Amino acid sequence: MSKINSKRFLSPGKHLMMGNVAMSEGALSAGLNYFGGYPITPSTEVIEHLAVRMPQVGGVCMQMEDELASINSVIGASLVGAKSMTATSGPGLSLMVETISMAANLEVPFVFCDVQRNGPGTGFVTEPHHNDIGLVRFSGNGEFQVIALAPMSCQELFDLTITAFNFAELYRCPVFILSDAYLGHLHEVVTIPPKEKILDRVIQRELPPPDEYIKKFTYKDDNTGKYVIPKPPQMGTDYCPGLLLHQPHNYEGLPTPKPMQFMEAIMDKINKNKDKICITESYKLKDADIIIIAYGLPVRASYRAVDIARKEGFKVGIFRLVTVWPFPDEEVMDVVKDAKAIIVPELNYTGYIAEQVERVTKLEIPIIKIPKVCEFHHPDDILKVIKEVAK
Amino acid sequence: MSDIGRMLPNEKPEHPYVPFSYAGSMFGNFATRFCSGCGYGIIGHLFTKIFEDEKLDPHLFPTIIGIGCYSQLLLIVHTKSQKILALHGRAPALATGIKMANPNMKPIIFSGDGDCLGIGGNHFIHLCRRNLDCVIFIFNNSIYAMTGGQGAPTTLFGAQSTTTPYKMFENRSDGVELAVAAGATYVARTTVAHPRTFMKYFKKALNHKGTSVIEVITPCVTYFGRKNLDSLGAENREGEGEKMDTGQKMIDWIKQNTIRRNQAKLMTEDQLLNKYVIGEFRYQTDKPEYSDEYNKIQKFAMEEK
Repeated sequence: MSKINSKRFLSPGKHLMMGNVAMSEGALSAGLNYFGGYPITPSTEVIEHLAVRMPQVGGVCMQMEDELASINSVIGASLVGAKSMTATSGPGLSLMVETISMAANLEVPFVFCDVQRNGPGTGFVTEPHHNDIGLVRFSGNGEFQVIALAPMSCQELFDLTITAFNFAELYRCPVFILSDAYLGHLHEVVTIPPKEKILDRVIQRELPPPDEYIKKFTYKDDNTGKYVIPKPPQMGTDYCPGLLLHQPHNYEGLPTPKPMQFMEAIMDKINKNKDKICITESYKLKDADIIIIAYGLPVRASYRAVDIARKEGFKVGIFRLVTVWPFPDEEVMDVVKDAKAIIVPELNYTGYIAEQVERVTKLEIPIIKIPKVCEFHHPDDILKVIKEVAK
Repeated sequence: MSDIGRMLPNEKPEHPYVPFSYAGSMFGNFATRFCSGCGYGIIGHLFTKIFEDEKLDPHLFPTIIGIGCYSQLLLIVHTKSQKILALHGRAPALATGIKMANPNMKPIIFSGDGDCLGIGGNHFIHLCRRNLDCVIFIFNNSIYAMTGGQGAPTTLFGAQSTTTPYKMFENRSDGVELAVAAGATYVARTTVAHPRTFMKYFKKALNHKGTSVIEVITPCVTYFGRKNLDSLGAENREGEGEKMDTGQKMIDWIKQNTIRRNQAKLMTEDQLLNKYVIGEFRYQTDKPEYSDEYNKIQKFAMEEK
């Protein structure tokens, strides 16, 4: 399974491709071996593209009978050592949460591409709406942490998918890619790096040395106080996940009488590694007193709005969340401490991230949401708010 | 959470295959969590016996276990077999992922009547349709036993359960007929009262390339037997008989209500209403198997320029 097929990588250079295709190619570069999916607008191009590409690289693309089956087959494939992923949209995600919760308990790594669409219910199926942000954070019964990455261009869909696979291997938790209907169907130029450069970045699925086989699940090292996340166990080898009951378990996988320890391990393996997981970007933040906090597509409109506003003399900057979950509390606190106001343009009505910013700032700084549903933020929308705030 | 060791009766192993079971290797005695009279102990030890006698490679025969009372078979199936517990009803889907990601494997799936014919019916149908190389057991005790005796898709007509307190009036679902219609290539039904047939069918399934469905009728004394009379299924004896509150009575009842397939051909539908027809229902070896076919596609796509 570890041998690398030459068809896995596209020729280096510039390619014009659709967002969903860029994401699929990113996954292939990251070593995707199993894809289980079920067609759903707007993520259908992922399974269509991988149905062609997966057999070429010796992998498997399964169209399962429903979303429940596709996510379960993904977990099964991951358990035998294949890098696996699925792609779906909101209604599919709500069917899959049951298994995401199980995967979080068993610490099975997998990547989940959520091409978000309008809701609730069926909604406008081809319109973007970042309305699954809350659902992915609290997907499934029980408490666990997830990682969610929000790309904003086709290039990032390619790059961040590789990052997502690496996070899945390292932290063994569900990793989401938050795409949306516009981004998934956007055609852009993607620069594919040379094969060697990609391979340098990718963390392969490997077995640990045999003397470490006993420790299969995350545990707290008593000496250092740090959480140790062993490599994912594989069925069909001596490093097998073992007797798994989906119960609070210790590092061997056996039920533990201390559920609190298990809970700490499963939550804090992410919380304590926030500095490595939380990817953020800043734009003209140094002297800014109005700060835009955004993720995904609204960032692109914000760049334009900030450029215009800067020319007109407003001190505006952007703090971009590439990693949406876990939320980078300390970094946001650090960035906004001297701000006069915070603007949060989001492609939803609730303002999931605005709520997080409210929590972090303890409502001491005015927070202006710019909700949009099923349409882009025009730079003028953001510019108007900047001018109102600056008055 | 619970201390397994404390629950065990302190006795010497008498069954020759006890040391090979998971609990047997840990505690050296016959440890199960099943009620007295339950049939899963028989199934677990027959499985362990076949696993040991046939010298199955544990790396290639993973056991995928669904949710039900039989999840506790974890403790008595062969200690070397690699076990994974699936979600309720999703074991066939999980096995599909395992088989496709590593086609050398042959998953053995444990599932129950509620698992396979209730919540996971769709996954079961499509597993059979693909003819994926695996063995799937449907343990049919005609009741949802783990949650306390609710009516199942397989509950017999006229039987009592906690959610059908007056009587069961729904039609019964037939796992074997469903599997045949869905396209499984080896389909058989047996009971725990016929252990030799069980072993014969299991061995045949292990050597068969394709989906093998084996339905096993097992008794549930605690939630089915105690609520129902042993006249259930017998003609013209409604309201007579005594409650099946021991394992012996339930095994006797299963034997009485079991009909071989060749005899069943002579009987009418009314006569077969609450009977279990046992035997082999289909054995077909020429149907293409899914992972083989996918492998051909892979070879074609890899060589294509």
